[in-house]
Amino acid sequence: MKIVHLDSVSKLYSGEKILDDVSLEIDEGERITILGPSGCGKTTILRLIAGFIAPDAGFISIAGSVVAQAGEIIKLPEQRHLGMVFQDLALWPHLSVAGNIEFGLKAKGLARTERQRQIRKVLDLVGMLGFADRRPAELSGGQQQRVALARALALEPKVLLMDEPLSSLDLDLNIRLRQEILGLQRKLGFTLLYVTHDRDEAFAIASRVVLMSKGTVEYDGAVEDAIRQFKG
Amino acid sequence: MARRACLGLTVILLFMIGTLPILSMLMKSVVVDGHLSLASYGGLLVSSHQWILMGHSMILSSLVTALTTAIGVPLGILLGKTDLPFRRFFRVLFVVPLLIPPYIIAVSWLDLLGSEGLLAQLLGTAVIRATAPMLFGLPGCVIVLFSVFLPIPMLLTMVFLRTINPRLEEAGRLVSGWRGVMQEITIPLILPGVLLSAMLVFLLSFGEFSVPNFLRYDVFPVESFTQFSAFYNFKAATAAAVPLAAITMVLLLVEGVFLRDRTYQLRPSPGLDGQALIGLGARRRGLLLLVAIIGLVVVFVPVVVLVIQSAGLTAYVEALSRAGDSLLRSLIYAVIGASLLTVLGFFTGYLIQTKAFRFWRSVDSMTIFLFALPSTVIGIGLITLWNTPWTNFIYSTPWIIIFGYLAKYTALTSRISVTQFAQIPPSMEEAAQIAGARWFRRMVFIVAPLARRGLLAGWLVGYIFSLRDTGITMLVYPAGHETLPIRIFTLMANGSPELIAALCMVMIAATLLPPGVLWMVSDMRKKAVIG
Ligand SMILES: Nc1ncnc2c1ncn2[C@@H]1O[C@H](COP(=O)(O)OP(=O)(O)OP(=O)(O)O)[C@@H](O)[C@H]1O
Ligand SMILES: [Mg+2]
Repeated sequence: MKIVHLDSVSKLYSGEKILDDVSLEIDEGERITILGPSGCGKTTILRLIAGFIAPDAGFISIAGSVVAQAGEIIKLPEQRHLGMVFQDLALWPHLSVAGNIEFGLKAKGLARTERQRQIRKVLDLVGMLGFADRRPAELSGGQQQRVALARALALEPKVLLMDEPLSSLDLDLNIRLRQEILGLQRKLGFTLLYVTHDRDEAFAIASRVVLMSKGTVEYDGAVEDAIRQFKG
Repeated sequence: MARRACLGLTVILLFMIGTLPILSMLMKSVVVDGHLSLASYGGLLVSSHQWILMGHSMILSSLVTALTTAIGVPLGILLGKTDLPFRRFFRVLFVVPLLIPPYIIAVSWLDLLGSEGLLAQLLGTAVIRATAPMLFGLPGCVIVLFSVFLPIPMLLTMVFLRTINPRLEEAGRLVSGWRGVMQEITIPLILPGVLLSAMLVFLLSFGEFSVPNFLRYDVFPVESFTQFSAFYNFKAATAAAVPLAAITMVLLLVEGVFLRDRTYQLRPSPGLDGQALIGLGARRRGLLLLVAIIGLVVVFVPVVVLVIQSAGLTAYVEALSRAGDSLLRSLIYAVIGASLLTVLGFFTGYLIQTKAFRFWRSVDSMTIFLFALPSTVIGIGLITLWNTPWTNFIYSTPWIIIFGYLAKYTALTSRISVTQFAQIPPSMEEAAQIAGARWFRRMVFIVAPLARRGLLAGWLVGYIFSLRDTGITMLVYPAGHETLPIRIFTLMANGSPELIAALCMVMIAATLLPPGVLWMVSDMRKKAVIG
């Protein structure tokens, strides 16, 4: 079954077509990177899947049920059970690391002991166990990155959306975190939709690459084919 | 769903409390004995008396606007952008007159310069005979309203200066001195703020009636008030209120066309920390002296006069015995008003910032319109709508006063919220949404805590403006529910100057109470962190 399906989706902003008839089928467990130059509509695709905006034409379904169609959001973001790491991370500055992770667990109505267990589990996953009581501002860029990842994984989503999460880091850290994300995906088996404008990053993470340009899909294929075609 | 319901309720509440009274007032003024008729307007603007009043209003507001702008904008630049010594102190000092009811400044000047004032006692009445007449009429009104509204251009200039990206000025500095940069870059960039403040000052002085009433200068809003309170001629009062509403409307439309998109959302520019201040160099001392003199005249002298005049325990004992009950009421109503204004402003600001409804702009304009509208108009509107046998549970209770606060001052808390929300990245709320939180939970645990500084500022502004409100309360307060400004206003006719001065001091103390407590708490916290 397709876990995420975009069916001929278009999106307009003030009359201009930002996405033009984009179709995308994503299988469970795939690692897809969306690659393309600035302004081609990558973030817009993620925001459509997350449910922050509605398409102007076409359908979007998640796990077999339609969540949005032309001009209408059928399922709100909070009902879609997705994980997302934002480009600016969006860590809540007034909450501790643990508080950031706990927020979604509370909203879900988990009991206190259950929440504590889950917080420890995801912090352990990203190697941040000792930092539960820190505020986001007291962490380095890479550590903030890991907390954002832990927060997104706390509710054990089937799909994880990431919008250029590493673009603000230096190359060394960028490469190290790629490997960690890859490791986590292999371990937990979630479907990964990863947006970047960096080719190396895209090829390192993906099992499948979607190349976009000016609101349309230019290329969509396995990473090996993509490398053969676009590298060299 | 919860989001639409809550924001929808906010709009309905604003409409019921603010817009509906004005509409019903308009309706009733054109219906006479069940027929459409302009009879109520018959006497209006045909008598030369009315035209004189209108002329007075125009002259007074124009003079006050010109004077406050000419001095307030340079003052704002000096205090916001240069290395003037003691600028932080002056920023606080100059705001004081805006915080208290305007007529208190008038009382103070009268205590100083009046024929029985302090100076007369000191120098003999002969000297003072020349100055006393100046105090009444136009000159006195201009001086008092000038000191009351001077903070508006000053503060708005400072706020708009903070929205300029310092890089823009630095780029100019590479090729020109500060004078050129100011003229060619800075001033043009803050021009919308200057125009906005000029318009605000014009409208606020246009609608002000307690000062002209006290200093015996007949202006148009006084007409509406006298028709209502002295002659009980409600139709005439309404008809006199309508031109005020019309003028407000026209000015705001002009503002809407030229300025709105540039003034409704202000964010401090990034990179302000490293901003260089203009070095005043050799002119530093001269300018300091000038600013100090203005501060002395506009703020320091009026306050000190009240302190001297009220000195001694007896005046305060009498003040508390004669007005203790209204002081208590004032505090309670102001706290309730401020809290409701904060909540209403939060949701209104949120719906404006997120453009939650297609008509978000109208909501914004509506609150601004109500803020700019003379208090008498709002008061008369509230009476028209609520003074019915079925709505007496509102009209004959303090709720009508609270309604007045909400109608007039929501613009303040809503704009403060908008400014605050503009600094919170939308991803903060989106992340909460992705985490599965419904709207209300997102508001309570994410958005409100992130906006807490704005909420606090909104509460303080709401408190101060509710506490100092005179215009609306004067018209709508139910018997036995006078607030302190009203009690002072009525006592002014026959109370001793000592008593009035003491009451004014009590009023100032009540105003400064919450900001003072807040300042102490934050100071203690800071010390606790250091210690
Ligand atoms: N809220 C909006 N209103 C109007 N236009 C928008 C809005 N959001 C995005 N756009 C436009 O849509 C286009 C695609 O934006 P999008 O953010 O999806 O690009 P992107 O591929 O993520 O770019 P980047 O790599 O710079 O993040 C851009 O031209 C942008 O200007
Ligand atoms: Mg993007």
